[in-house]
Formats: sequence, structure tokens, C-alpha cells
Amino acid sequence: MIGLIDINTGNLASLVSALSKLNIKFKICKKRHDFESLNKFILPGVGAYDDFMKKLINLKFDKIIQKKISNNCSFLGICVGYQVLFNGSSEHGMHEGLNIIKGKFVNFIDENKNIKIPHVGWNECKLINKNELFYEIKDNSDFYFTHSYILKDFDKENIASKTNYIVDFVSAVNFKNVYGVQFHPEKSQLNGLKLLKNFNERC
Amino acid sequence: MLKKRIIITLTFLDGVLFRTKNFKPDYRYTKNFIDLWSIDELLLIDISKKKFSKNFLNTIKYFTENCFVPITVGGGIKKIQDADLYFKNGADKILLGTHDLEKSNMIEDISKKYGSQSIIQSIDCKKKSKNEYTVMTNSGNSNLENNVILYGKKALKQGAGEILINSIDNDGSLLGYDMQLVNLISRNLNSPLLALGGGGNWNHLLELFLKTNISAACTQNIFHFTEESILSAKKFLKQNNINIRH
Repeated sequence: MIGLIDINTGNLASLVSALSKLNIKFKICKKRHDFESLNKFILPGVGAYDDFMKKLINLKFDKIIQKKISNNCSFLGICVGYQVLFNGSSEHGMHEGLNIIKGKFVNFIDENKNIKIPHVGWNECKLINKNELFYEIKDNSDFYFTHSYILKDFDKENIASKTNYIVDFVSAVNFKNVYGVQFHPEKSQLNGLKLLKNFNERC
Repeated sequence: MLKKRIIITLTFLDGVLFRTKNFKPDYRYTKNFIDLWSIDELLLIDISKKKFSKNFLNTIKYFTENCFVPITVGGGIKKIQDADLYFKNGADKILLGTHDLEKSNMIEDISKKYGSQSIIQSIDCKKKSKNEYTVMTNSGNSNLENNVILYGKKALKQGAGEILINSIDNDGSLLGYDMQLVNLISRNLNSPLLALGGGGNWNHLLELFLKTNISAACTQNIFHFTEESILSAKKFLKQNNINIRH
């Protein structure tokens, strides 16, 4: 059973469809007590970083997530849900994240002024350090991205995949029991469904 | 490397799938025509008089539950509550029709709640003279302003993530995309751009990708995109060195 963390950002529908398609059992976690007895979670995320963090804090989900992760629960962050696992982001001023993995987010434009943002569309993931999330997924497979911020000041050993959009950036990480992907597996057809299946069965 | 996208565009009249010509319903289809596993992205537009009908919302749901690609929904969005309804039914992004940017906070409101990446702003363009285009609104019936670039810049500043360049003149013509219009806008805007209007065969897609800096080609003439042909179109583009997902 996967806990699907819902902080009321409006759109869980696509992830619900994907998990249903895979016959994966899940429970939507809207209140603190919904987290009880679960040990595997997905944190999907859309919208702005600061807004997303504020909602997590207001619901006191930040503490629960930190605790669940330190208690060795498996965790998958998607898009902004991936970004908040790190120390912070410079989106709309500097904002602090959940401080679970080392690194912070900066805009593509800080790397190269001529980059068109957001980075939207299908792009390849070059697999770096082997992990179970990408089990039987071919190197350089396509996934769907939509974002403007990328990870900096990270630990190399946590990188699961890299992607190139004018610059190389980290597109997936794995740190102990925690996984994070910048792309949207629930929008990435067969590759994405396979990745969600892997998270459920192998992570 | 980022792939060029082909966005299958479907227009619905009272829940029934139609093709349009010059912005009017023209030809009826069924959704079984579409190979859900070969597409990169979907754009669903309601062209009915009465918007937000149960029929259309169920259509969105059908696609959300059956294809795992990004889905953009448009038609009749005038305020954030309209967008809420589409997001709630499974839209990943919403398409905003050309509207008066000075008189509306809609883009700011939606981008605050769902993020810029969730907003595609359409610029409905009509050719005025050889090198001039105007921005049209009200289903292409009234002139809004004369500078297509300025309109695009304002929309991005308010928080739109992508711009759809919609050629009214080429809509449903099957004569190819308006390359001049696309280039005019892409030289001046720093965001992903989508082109709609005129795509009738694979060569039109190729021409668009070769001659412009476009991120995505939208095409609604799905007669050319039945099961075999989405794959064949992609193969054709790939053979011609277009970076496409296959």
C-alpha cells in the first residue's frame, strides 16, 4: 500500500490513474492520521516551491515526512515533491526545503541566459548510479519534464540520472530509502508506468 | 536532448469529436481513431456553446484514465474557478483563449495556484498584410490588438508557461503551417512555443521543424494520425533527422 500525499494542490488525478492502471493499492493521505501504518509514500508536486513548502508546513506534513523517512520508509518525490527533499530553492526568493538530501535549486537561466524556460517536453535520462527505481528501464529512455529549476551543490553519489537541456542537470536521485525524479512518471507512458511499478515492487 | 513534440489536438462539440475549419466545426470523428500509446501530448478543446458540460468533463476523464501523457484542456476559461474544474477532472495544463490581458488577472491567479508550467496562452493571429498580423479574440471575430509579439510578452510576464501560435487563416486548410508567423514570434519570445493551424501532412510537420525554432506542432487532422500513421509520421521525421520521441 502506497501513501499518496495530498496537500490539496489540485491535481492527483493523473497519478491516481497511473497507479490504478498498474493495480497498485494506494491510500490518499490528506490528514496526519492517514500516514499511520504506511511505510511507502509518493509526494507528487506542482506549483511554486514556497507555496508548496508552506502547505506542507501548515498541515504539519513536513515533520511527518522527515520522521517517516528517518524510520526507513520508502519515499518517492515527483517534480516539486522531489525539489522539496533538498535544502532549498531560489524560486521567488530563497526558501528552505525539507533538508533530507544535500543540494539546492537554481533557475536554468542562472546557468545560461539563452535557455528557453520552462524546460517542457520529452527528454532522455542518462542513467548514472544503478538503482532499483530504473530496473529494466533502458539507458537514455524518454520521460516528460516541465520545470524551470535545477539541482546544484549536490553529492555525486546520489545521482540516479542526468538529462541535457543546453546544460546537463540531475533528473533523478537516490539517497538511501529516498528517491526523487524531476520528470513526471505518471505522464511518461510505458517508461513512467514501469518506474512506478519498480518503486512499488523493488524500492 | 529535448525532443520535438507532436500534440494531437481534438475539438469537441457537445462531447462529440470534430475537426474544425476556419474555427468552425467541420468533420466528425470518434475517439477510437487515436492510438493512445504513440502520442506525445494531447490538447482537448471544447467548442460547444454551453461550456463545462458533463459530457466534456467525462471526455477529459476518459483520456486521463487511458493515456499517460500530458493533457491540456481549453474552452471557455474566463476565471480561475473554470480552470479549477478542468484540473479537477484531470487536466495537467489549461489552454487560455486570447483574452484582454489588461482586464483580467486570470493568468496570475492560475499560475499562483498551479504554477506557470500549467498555462498555455493561445494567440489567435490573423494576417493583415504581407508582414503584419493582428491578435483576434471572440473565436476570431473581433480584433484585440495589433501587436502579436507584445501580446505574447505580456502573457508570459503575467505567468503563462507556453505560447500557442494559432493561425486563424490556416486553420483546417491543410496547406501547412504559417512559417512566417511562427518565426516572427519565436525570434521575440523566450518560452516554449506551439504552432497550430494548417498541418495537413507529414511534410508540413517536417517543414515546420526544419524552418522554425518551434517546440511543438499541434495537429487536429487525425485522419493522418490513425494507429499506423502516428508511428509512420514519427519514423518519417526521424529519417529526416528531426529529434523526435519514438
